[in-house]
Amino acid sequence: MTADLSRAALETGEVLVVERLGGGLLELVARLPHLAANAMPGTFAQLRCGTSTTPLLRRPFSVAWTHDDTCGFVFEAVGAGTRLLAALQPGDPLDTLGPLGNGFSVVDSGSVVCVSGGLGCAPFPLLINALRRRGVEDILVLNGARTATRLYPAERFARPAVPVVAEATDDGTRGHHGPVTELLQQALSSRPTAIYACGPNAMLGAVMGTLLESGADLPPTLEASLEAPMGCGFGTCLGCALPVLGEDRVTVWKLCCTDGPVMPMRDVDWDGLRALPGADVA
Amino acid sequence: MTENAPGSVDLGRGLTLPNPVGLASGTAGYGFELEQLIDINRLGALYTKGTTMDARAGNPPPRVAETGGGMLNSIGLQNPGVDSVATTYAPRWTGWSIPIIVNIAGGSVDEYVHCVSVLEPVSEVAGIELNISCPNIAQGLDFGRDPAEAARLVAAVRAVTQRCVIVKLSPNVTDIAAVARAVEDAGADAVSAVNTYIGRKIHRATGRSVLPLGTGGLSGPAIQPLALAAVAAVCAAVHIPVIGVGGIIDAASARDFLIVGACAVQVGTATFVNPETALQVLDGLRVDDY
Ligand SMILES: Cc1cc2nc3c(=O)[nH]c(=O)nc-3n(C[C@H](O)[C@H](O)[C@H](O)COP(=O)(O)OP(=O)(O)OC[C@H]3O[C@@H](n4cnc5c(N)ncnc54)[C@H](O)[C@@H]3O)c2cc1C
Ligand SMILES: Cc1cc2nc3c(=O)[nH]c(=O)nc-3n(C[C@H](O)[C@H](O)[C@H](O)COP(=O)(O)O)c2cc1C
Ligand code: FES
Repeated sequence: MTADLSRAALETGEVLVVERLGGGLLELVARLPHLAANAMPGTFAQLRCGTSTTPLLRRPFSVAWTHDDTCGFVFEAVGAGTRLLAALQPGDPLDTLGPLGNGFSVVDSGSVVCVSGGLGCAPFPLLINALRRRGVEDILVLNGARTATRLYPAERFARPAVPVVAEATDDGTRGHHGPVTELLQQALSSRPTAIYACGPNAMLGAVMGTLLESGADLPPTLEASLEAPMGCGFGTCLGCALPVLGEDRVTVWKLCCTDGPVMPMRDVDWDGLRALPGADVA
Repeated sequence: MTENAPGSVDLGRGLTLPNPVGLASGTAGYGFELEQLIDINRLGALYTKGTTMDARAGNPPPRVAETGGGMLNSIGLQNPGVDSVATTYAPRWTGWSIPIIVNIAGGSVDEYVHCVSVLEPVSEVAGIELNISCPNIAQGLDFGRDPAEAARLVAAVRAVTQRCVIVKLSPNVTDIAAVARAVEDAGADAVSAVNTYIGRKIHRATGRSVLPLGTGGLSGPAIQPLALAAVAAVCAAVHIPVIGVGGIIDAASARDFLIVGACAVQVGTATFVNPETALQVLDGLRVDDY
């Protein structure tokens, strides 16, 4: 099956602002009419970082939110590419390719839990907005980070009405002291009908582990946005393989960029993903 | 197209490319993704992902890692196998004007011969590119390293196809010209050079190789001067057409290959950065460039 790339396009937008949210979190806002009009919750854009041949490849970023003809991206300066993005000034061009990938399936009823780890917050504002437009109001966000300053601010998950956000920090500087999965454990008692998760692959594995250990029935909608190092982002390099359970539950490689990045959590081979030699290496 | 647009390229045995700029193997899949992103039919050729006798799942990730001005890959020839390409993919190329050149890889002469035979009756296929140089599978390099082995392979394939056979050379050899001469003598219609250079990246925090197999293939602008030297050596050694590939990012870096004697080029890694690159190269080349 060939990926549907009919909405994807190259678009050079204009940077409006790079806002520093504290703790290293950054929100990049750019005028990108095509992306704003076409991005679905969970889809991503390939951003060119700088204009030189180093860094060479684009970097994938979730479209965090759209508003009229602008898009927001949430990130942290962790390497060469994101440092260049962090240094962008208002008026600078932003070279994008998107939207790419399969997004979340947006339910239109029931109770929803969004589980975010670190920069996994990125796709949720757009998702929550879409859920609300479909009439879903029962939305709980579980937001985890290493420390308080790295928590994406609760009021940014949706405007104007802020959803219920429960926070967890590894160091206990805000909210629950411990991993976000412990908040998830508690939230399961209200029997959510949809769970969406985004964060480092290891955290997503822990989310699945928590769900399975709880013994509760898995919710009908259970999806995660996964990560893999990408060469192209549009299905031609075959570089972004992830282990997924195929027919007969035999593990096959699927592409993060075109089969994902959002995948049904039931289908991911979590043990295989955890066992990858370079799971933390790119 | 302007009056000065680059003209057609005769690769021999009935294969004429409408213009010299193609999409390199493994960087354009089988065309179905890029067809949605760019006006693919304006290009001179699509060299498909390396295709093998049996379907291959590919290597475990991570499969790509960025390096200065380039990238390493260790895809492991993930492909659906030649039968699927012949029966499922080929019909989807019907109506495309871009010539489709299927890149073939294998672990033995028999596997290559089998693949080429399966494709022989498939009318949508315009030509064959023999990948004797994939650095990412066991045995993948043996044919590319040894002129006699390369010649044996080409002769066997020559016997089962009327189509234009392009042999893709490995740069990971001491004397690329010797391999080029050997495959020319064995009946190759053209050669393409180069495939990726063997490279390695160490994860600085762990001291381990980033790619699970240790090494991968280096591509991108970092290799352009290396590829240029290799292509110049090949051009000096053979009389058949030479297709230059390696590190092209724009018309200027493509023109370098034409200057050293190549008659056509392939754009690889740069397509990942900008899917329009090959079209920009085409538009930037003028007819007097080659
Ligand atoms: C579909 C998708 C959506 C993403 N969305 C966001 C987002 O909204 N916000 C955000 O901050 N980040 C996001 N990422 C991760 C982001 O792409 C990487 O952080 C970025 O590529 C790092 O680039 P760099 O040049 O700054 O760092 P590099 O120097 O390339 O690497 C620095 C660190 O980032 C890690 N890294 C590099 N590339 C990736 C990658 N592709 N995926 C995961 N980790 C990587 C490395 O392991 C290393 O620890 C997303 C990744 C994917 C696959
Ligand atoms: C991800 C990737 C996959 C590739 N797969 C193949 C392949 O299957 N067969 C082949 O002959 N070459 C393959 N190549 C090599 C390219 O066709 C090309 O020779 C090489 O990348 C150098 O060109 P570039 O620097 O423009 O990318 C691959 C390259 C990359 C980056
Ligand atoms: S990043 Fe190239 S196929 Fe997914």
